[in-house]
Amino acid sequence: MREELAAAIREALEDGAAAAVFLTGEDGTAEPRVARDPSDAAIEKVATGDERYPMAGFVMMLSPLLEGGIAVAGRECDRRMFVELAKHGQVDPDRIRFIGIPCSQELADACGCDHPCPPDSIVACAAGPAQARLVEEATSEDAAERFAFWMDSFSRCIKCMGCRNVCPMCYCKECALDNLELVGPESAPPDIPIFHLIRAVDMADHCVDCGMCEAICPAEIPLRSLYRQAREVVKEAFGYEPGVNPDEKSPIEKLGEVSDLAGMEEGFRTT
Amino acid sequence: MTNETIEDTTEKPAEVADDDVRILAFLCNWCSYAGADLAGVSRMQYPPNVRDIRVMCTGTISPYFVLKAFQEGIDGVLIAGCHIGDCHYGKGNYATAKRFRVLEDLLTSIGVDPRRIRLEWVSAAEGAKFQQVITDFTEQVRQAGRSPLGRKGGGQA
Ligand code: SF4
Ligand code: SF4
Ligand code: FES
Repeated sequence: MREELAAAIREALEDGAAAAVFLTGEDGTAEPRVARDPSDAAIEKVATGDERYPMAGFVMMLSPLLEGGIAVAGRECDRRMFVELAKHGQVDPDRIRFIGIPCSQELADACGCDHPCPPDSIVACAAGPAQARLVEEATSEDAAERFAFWMDSFSRCIKCMGCRNVCPMCYCKECALDNLELVGPESAPPDIPIFHLIRAVDMADHCVDCGMCEAICPAEIPLRSLYRQAREVVKEAFGYEPGVNPDEKSPIEKLGEVSDLAGMEEGFRTT
Repeated sequence: MTNETIEDTTEKPAEVADDDVRILAFLCNWCSYAGADLAGVSRMQYPPNVRDIRVMCTGTISPYFVLKAFQEGIDGVLIAGCHIGDCHYGKGNYATAKRFRVLEDLLTSIGVDPRRIRLEWVSAAEGAKFQQVITDFTEQVRQAGRSPLGRKGGGQA
C-alpha cells in the first residue's frame, strides 16, 4: 500500500495542493510530516501501519500558516473529523483533499470500529466492520453498579488533560474544564464526576469515536465507552451521528423547529 | 449568573432536616418564576426543600450548571420554564428541551437515578401547577434519596 499512498500524495502536490500532511514511521512509531514538493524524500517513507495520530488537529494548527489546498492522508475516523469540524467552521472543506487509508482487520477489531473503510480509499479495503462495544461493567443492568463503576474509574484520573488535548473535536480556545468555577483546582482526582461529564455532554454530538482519548489515558479510564454512551443518547434522541453527513448539523447546535421536538415527550414532561 | 450563585444556593435551608433532600430549581423569569410568585401570594403550601435561581430564559441554562449543582451536593435539579410556543425569546426552550433530553439520558446511562432531574413547563398563571410540581418532585427526589454525586453529598446510590 505504501507505493499507492506515496503516488497519491505526489499526485495531489502535482495537482496544485500547497502541502501534503501524512505520517511517517515504522513499528508503531509515528511522526507527522508536511511535504510541499512532490520530490520530497519523506513521501517515500509514508506510514501504512496501524499508527494513529490526531491528523485533523495537526491540520487545524497548520492551515492558518499555509495558503491553498492541503492533502491529508488519513483513516476513516480522520475523515469523519474533517466532516464534523467543517460544520463547526474549524476547517475549510474546500481546502482539504483527503487521501483515504483503509484500516486493517486487526485494527478494526481492536478498535471495535464499524467503519474501517474510507469511501474512496487508495487501495481496496479488505476489513469488515467490527462490533462497537462498551466495557462490560458499563452495561450492567443495575444502575448503582454502573454508577459505582464510573465513579471508581473517574477516581483514577490524574487530570493530565491528555484526553482533551489529543482530541481534534475539542477545539475550543476557552475550555470549560479550565474554568475554576466549574471544576476546582484539585487534580488527583479532579472534581468527579463533573470533570468527565462536562466532556461527555460536549462529545455527545461531536465525538467521531476515533478512540485516541482512551488510548492516551494513563489511568486507563474507558473513555471511549463513556463517549459511545453519549453518542448513543444523541443518536437515539435525534438520529444524529457526528461526522457522517456533511449536510446535516447537530440538532443541539440549532434551535430548530417545533417538529424537531416531536417524539421527545418521553424526555420531558409537557403536562 | 455566576457559579457563586449555585454554591450559595446549595446551602441547606434551616427548616430542612439534615437527612432530607436539597433541590435546586432553575426558574425562567417570565413564566415559572412568576408562577412561583403566584403560588406564594396565593399562600399555597409546598415543601421548603427547594432553593431557586432565576434565569432570563431556560435557554440560558447550560448542562454544566446542572452538573455543577450535583457536584455541590444537590440531590435533585428542576428546570421550569415557559411552555413551548410561549418562550419570550421565541425558541429558547427548544434548546432547553433538547439539552435536557441529552443530559437526562446520559446521566441515566452512567447509572444516576433519573428521578433526580426534571423539566417542566409552568406559566405565570399556573401557581397551582407550580405547587404541584414542587410537591411531586420533592417526593420523587426523596425516594431517590441523598445524591451520591457530589463531594458534599453522601448517602446511598
Ligand atoms: S474518541 Fe476521544 S479523541 Fe476521538 S473524537 Fe471521541 S472524544 Fe475525541
Ligand atoms: S487522559 Fe485520563 S487521566 Fe488524563 S485527564 Fe483525561 S481522563 Fe484524566
Ligand atoms: S423565556 Fe421562559 S423559557 Fe425562554
